[in-house]
Amino acid sequence: MEYALEANGLRKEYPGFTLRDVSFALPRGLIMGLIGPNGAGKTTVIKLILNIVRRTAGEVRLFGLDNLAREEEIKSRTGFVLDETPFYGYLKVAAAASVIAPFYRTWDQARFETLCREFELPLKRRVNALSRGMKMKLALAVALAHGAELILLDEPTSGLDPVFRRDLLERLSGLIQDGRTSVLFSTHITSDLERVADYITLLREGELVFSAPREEVLEKWAVVKGGPELFEGGNAVLFRGLVRGPYGVTALTPDIEEARRRLAGRGAVIERVRLDELVIFLGREGRREKEAGRE
Amino acid sequence: MLKLLRLEYLFNVRQLLIILAIFSLYFAYAVNRVESPGVFIVTTSLMVGLGIPFAIMGREDKFKTAALLCSLPVRRSTVVLSKFAATWAAILLGLGYNVFLTAVLPFSKIPLGGVLSVKNLLVSLFLMSMLFAVILPFTIRFGFVGIIILLTGCQLLGIVTLLLGQLLGGAGIPLRLFFRAVERGLKFLLHHQATTGFLLVLAAGIIAVNLLAILVSRALYARRDL
Repeated sequence: MEYALEANGLRKEYPGFTLRDVSFALPRGLIMGLIGPNGAGKTTVIKLILNIVRRTAGEVRLFGLDNLAREEEIKSRTGFVLDETPFYGYLKVAAAASVIAPFYRTWDQARFETLCREFELPLKRRVNALSRGMKMKLALAVALAHGAELILLDEPTSGLDPVFRRDLLERLSGLIQDGRTSVLFSTHITSDLERVADYITLLREGELVFSAPREEVLEKWAVVKGGPELFEGGNAVLFRGLVRGPYGVTALTPDIEEARRRLAGRGAVIERVRLDELVIFLGREGRREKEAGRE
Repeated sequence: MLKLLRLEYLFNVRQLLIILAIFSLYFAYAVNRVESPGVFIVTTSLMVGLGIPFAIMGREDKFKTAALLCSLPVRRSTVVLSKFAATWAAILLGLGYNVFLTAVLPFSKIPLGGVLSVKNLLVSLFLMSMLFAVILPFTIRFGFVGIIILLTGCQLLGIVTLLLGQLLGGAGIPLRLFFRAVERGLKFLLHHQATTGFLLVLAAGIIAVNLLAILVSRALYARRDL
């Protein structure tokens, strides 16, 4: 299989936060959703891919090329939308694009202008005067105007209205139809990913929980509800992110088949998991482990 | 690198014009007061030299554009080179502007030929290189905060030296020695005869100091997380 992006043992140490040995791979022509609670390390991963921050250890390969050794070539084939859109605020939209355009040999000015029209981006307005959502649209128009083979999107839908969010998702789905373009998409809005993502990578507290095809994740993981006795003893290893409530316990299981087998006839309710539930349950579990570690 | 230079200038053109406009007043004052072309060109160049990096790096911090710059298909080493090139281009612009004012202002006491002498130009470029060798690596690595750190550090060092001088007797001797050394160095540069050997040493010094500053800046910028 040909990969657009491979991260192997990626590590970044900050004071108070460590991204620990994250490995995943995004096959060409697919969309990967990068999810996780706040502070999970999603933005750090994207910045490491772009070499905006230095990695402590590990390796990143884009299109089979090392992201440090072949930095220029790789970046010319990559588009990005960062969480903070660092455009030159003093410039007008058209001028901001015109200073960026010469860096890309494949820049398509007509496409950029078409995208601006579609996104209702006023070319003559100063970047400073744009709302956050509009700045996101500008970043996206820039990313798409040079025909990037890999598009890295860090929280692109935050600040966007639902109509444009839907448009963006449809556009991303359309982009990968050529089998050449791939997308890595970090977001808090997991419902967006349920529509478009082929792969899901979940980070928590700087650690990779899993990276797998979306269908596999949604088929294997499940939410289990039932009395406390179901989650104790030998069954405990089957469950994660336990939440005890007044009417019983709710937990996640990464192995729906095994849970069904062990809990058959014992009054357990086993439901398909949603991505937001994965983030919530595993996020809580991570916080609890962190607090326990401190104690 | 030309693409980066274009970007820096398009982004900062208004600031550069504002700086030149502000300094015009001082330059106009200086051409009427200062009689030594060497002192005039050196002091005014140093002022421009200090103003430009402040403006460029300050705006980069304000708009957080360093992340954008490093996400574009360019190497970090090229980004560093472009910052040096942009700064030097601005300095040369400032020098050209000085010469222009010297020539056109009717009350100028500075002879144009004196400003345009190879020695005076090389001395001012050498001093500017020395200044940038300290300032640019700091600003490239730490941004605008770097300049503040540097200036605050110098202030604190001065205070500590003064206090130590007073406590140990012979108030301010280390500082006095330092300032005298700087004064002697400046006098030496300004009054030394413009022999070929001296000019060659100055030119070599300019190149060496800049190369060293670029190497240090590249090493520091490669370690910067944006």
